[in-house]
Amino acid sequence: MKTILAVDDSGSLRHMLSFSLKAAGYGVIEAVDGQDGLAKAKQQTVDLVLTDQNMPGMDGLSLIKALRAMKNYQSVPILMLTTESGDDIKAMGRAAGASGWLVKPFDPARLTEVVKKLIG
Amino acid sequence: MRPQETPSGEAMNTPVMRLLSGMSVHGDQHLAEVEQDLVQMGVLLDEAIKKLCASFMAIHQAVALQQEALNGMHAAGDEAARFAAIHAEIDRHIGAAVTGLQFQDMTSQLIRRMALHLAGLRDVFGMLNTRTNGSPILPESGSDEILAMLNQIGDQVGHGAGRAGGVRSTVNQRHMESGDIELF
Repeated sequence: MKTILAVDDSGSLRHMLSFSLKAAGYGVIEAVDGQDGLAKAKQQTVDLVLTDQNMPGMDGLSLIKALRAMKNYQSVPILMLTTESGDDIKAMGRAAGASGWLVKPFDPARLTEVVKKLIG
Repeated sequence: MRPQETPSGEAMNTPVMRLLSGMSVHGDQHLAEVEQDLVQMGVLLDEAIKKLCASFMAIHQAVALQQEALNGMHAAGDEAARFAAIHAEIDRHIGAAVTGLQFQDMTSQLIRRMALHLAGLRDVFGMLNTRTNGSPILPESGSDEILAMLNQIGDQVGHGAGRAGGVRSTVNQRHMESGDIELF
């Protein structure tokens, strides 16, 4: 089973991500912020990372940079899932190593379609 | 008005100081009420969303189990197709509900931002009324001192917006429709 790390400080959002991805047959590990996400990514190399941008402590961009600096995360798809949609921040995400940008709210069917495209 | 009827600087300053002090006390009370309501709103939304999420997930699971049971009953061709269509329809509605339920994630961000702005405003009112190190911040007399103090407070208001967590709005959504997806 492919595993996805879902990083978001909103408990309800994490539940909905987990619910949608598990229903599509993926395993899901939840993390409450960037720091927690990084710690969990170190414990187990996941197949895809889905992260929010605005979180207390370590934000999404910092998490992506930290993950891309790790050997085993250089080619793992990392998707940003955030309320932000500005071109500037998207460019920053791309420069940090994000594989894609999803603007909230997400639609479960479209989300799983993208995930399937990236990791099967 | 003849010159002797013009109130002296000191005579004017006392009512101005009282006015500012009263304004700060009442302003602070109003902001405290708003802050309290925002916190309560956040708590209620959080609890509501947890319950709604749990209910929708339970509905989804129940429907999936029902579908499994129906599959096991080996319904005839037409019936099986009808059940499958109903199942797909329910899935579509559950998906739409999951999209709609994400309102809480956005409203909580907006509430946090409002709370930061309110905290900034309360600081300003606090400046009007607080005494530090035994010295009154509000000058006892002298229009220049009062003007200097008001200028300082004006600056504080200006900085307040920036200080409130870099209050750039991160939520620009106007509708609860699924957002754009871009793969790099």
